[in-house]
Amino acid sequence: MKIEQIYKVFDEYRGLSDSKLHPTEPKSEQFLKAFRELLDKKNNWPFLLPLRLALEACTHCGTCAEACPVYIGSGRNKLYSPVYRADMLRKIYKRYFTLTGKVFGSLVGAKEVTEQDINAMAEAAYRCTICRRCVLACPFGLDNGLVMREMRKIFAELGIIPEELKEEGVDNQLRYGSAPKISYEALMNILDFVRGEIEENRKNVSIEIPVDKVGAKYLIINNAGDYLSFLDTIRGIVEVMNYVNVDWTFNSPRTGVFDNVNYGLFYSDKDMLRVIRAHLETINKLKPEYVVIGECGHAYDVLGHLMKDLIPAEERPFKVIHIVELYDKFLREGKLKLDKHKNAEPVTFHDSCKIGRCGGIYDEPRRVIVASCRDFREMYPNREYNYCCGGGGGFALMSKYNFLDFRMKTYGRLKMQQVKDTAASTLITICANCKRQFLDMVSYYNLNINVSGLSEVLANALVY
Amino acid sequence: MDEYFTIFIGIYLPYITLVVFIVAVIYNFFKWIFLPRPIMWAIFPAKKSLANILFTIATRIFSLPGPRKFDKLIFTLAWMFHIGLIVSLTLHAKYIFIPHLPYEYEVGTIAGMLAAIGSVGFIIRRYVDKRADSYFADYFALILLIITLSLGQYIRMFRVVESTHLWTWVQGILTLNPIPPPVNTLFLIHIVFAQIYMIYLPFKTLIHPIAIFYGQKIILDQRHFKG
Ligand code: SF4
Ligand code: SF4
Repeated sequence: MKIEQIYKVFDEYRGLSDSKLHPTEPKSEQFLKAFRELLDKKNNWPFLLPLRLALEACTHCGTCAEACPVYIGSGRNKLYSPVYRADMLRKIYKRYFTLTGKVFGSLVGAKEVTEQDINAMAEAAYRCTICRRCVLACPFGLDNGLVMREMRKIFAELGIIPEELKEEGVDNQLRYGSAPKISYEALMNILDFVRGEIEENRKNVSIEIPVDKVGAKYLIINNAGDYLSFLDTIRGIVEVMNYVNVDWTFNSPRTGVFDNVNYGLFYSDKDMLRVIRAHLETINKLKPEYVVIGECGHAYDVLGHLMKDLIPAEERPFKVIHIVELYDKFLREGKLKLDKHKNAEPVTFHDSCKIGRCGGIYDEPRRVIVASCRDFREMYPNREYNYCCGGGGGFALMSKYNFLDFRMKTYGRLKMQQVKDTAASTLITICANCKRQFLDMVSYYNLNINVSGLSEVLANALVY
Repeated sequence: MDEYFTIFIGIYLPYITLVVFIVAVIYNFFKWIFLPRPIMWAIFPAKKSLANILFTIATRIFSLPGPRKFDKLIFTLAWMFHIGLIVSLTLHAKYIFIPHLPYEYEVGTIAGMLAAIGSVGFIIRRYVDKRADSYFADYFALILLIITLSLGQYIRMFRVVESTHLWTWVQGILTLNPIPPPVNTLFLIHIVFAQIYMIYLPFKTLIHPIAIFYGQKIILDQRHFKG
């Protein structure tokens, strides 16, 4: 295996490999070209207004820093202040794309771009989880998370994208139906195993796992990583869906994409749209009434929200909900008989950024947890003010070089303390990327806490 | 020479300032209004109706929930600064209609002091703050304001110029029959700085209301194009 040289380009960490970043190669011309295209109405209509606002209206008051888990968790390292990172791009914007910047230069904070700046920006764009907590602090509502995402988009045009998101993420998903390349046979084996396990645990219960059923009311698309790493969540989903006895189905690679993720969200609108199109093609073959996003946050953000403005309504003749909304519906309809004493240990809940702050789902998981657990403890802050776990922005997948240290030693520390303060023995979260981040935290810090999805907790409380 | 200079400052410069100000405001307005409406990019809890969105923006302008929660110092300074400035400007704007207002001396003095303390606080905070770099442009508006406010405060406290003369001067400008301004060096410096500030305002500071409107609207608006 080729050992790559790690160059220090921004801080002591690296998230991008040299074979992606090419730190010694000149890139300024391509960079400015991609930046210019990003500022074009036709190319970037969905995000141009918030981008231009953030680039032009920031007063450098620094308030947003106090909301940023990366900045706070790092011990208030200026490099991780949202406004500092956004300013890296803003200086260049002013110099090349504003009259005042061209005329007054450094007096208004404009700066000529250098190759070092470009390398540093490429890495800096991957020091923000795009959790958008800082937006809540800014008096104007400026979005430094969005600026980082736009910065990633510029670098994507230069081919600078972490392999975990592009080759091992989007490319695999479009080619094999899922990022982890699970074959049809492997999926069927996994589901057989799940069926057997539930039937063994719940005597006298017969379990059906419909796959690729056309016209089902609910098509549940999971984060395919759950089939490998969080099988308990899949078991929970299967058990609850059998319990309520509704018309539902999973899908497999035979129908196209059976992985709800969309890592394009983290670096490129073009790739995000490619994945959305692949999802649409698959869903329209199966013709469900509802597409149910399994336990995943960013998949809900894309299919539940962004898709609605990017794809005309007639091309998406179905509704999109998160699985927690479905559980909440079953609960309110009285379809779930639960015994909360079956989950007697104290539990806490992490509001995933893409489901809570960016998705608007706060009460549904709480209602389900309160109905199925005896001792629910809120972590503080929570809801829209909750700290990002740090798995967002694609980071849960990124561990090469010393990137895991970055994830753990900055915001990871902060999050760990927040969870510890609840003294809960189980942490529930409804996003696969959050679960990955928490599992990494548990092993990195040797924590004694069980990380769980909501589906398995709910299934465990079912009364037959 | 002195007379020409006074006439330039008190008669021609106000028209130049007004024209630059109005053209720049119109330019800014169109520049932002013609940017495409963005994708739904709300932060929840958000709002579903335009009336609700606009009402919440209006309340947030005064309640500044972000700074209030995350940075009490900037919240306090922002309140002092903006309230002081708004009251001071209102007391200036009264010359469009009347020469005097009851208690204007006391109210104006307190407002001027609040705005000055806020501006000095902002400058110190910028200088010592390690979270963000500030540039000359960030200090410039504050320095202009501090000079303008201090002179204005002095003029008000020591009643350097006669308010009836001020009123007739403003009336003259507005009715396009300008008369020379009160001749006092400190007053003339005060109005020069005030006018430089007004010319600078649309290029930097006036972006604040635009930003607060669009920025907050984006995060409060949970309406999709087609539902
Ligand atoms: S989006 Fe989150 S991680 Fe990024 S700058 Fe804002 S608060 Fe920090
Ligand atoms: S809070 Fe808003 S205006 Fe202040 S530094 Fe951050 S982004 Fe800029």
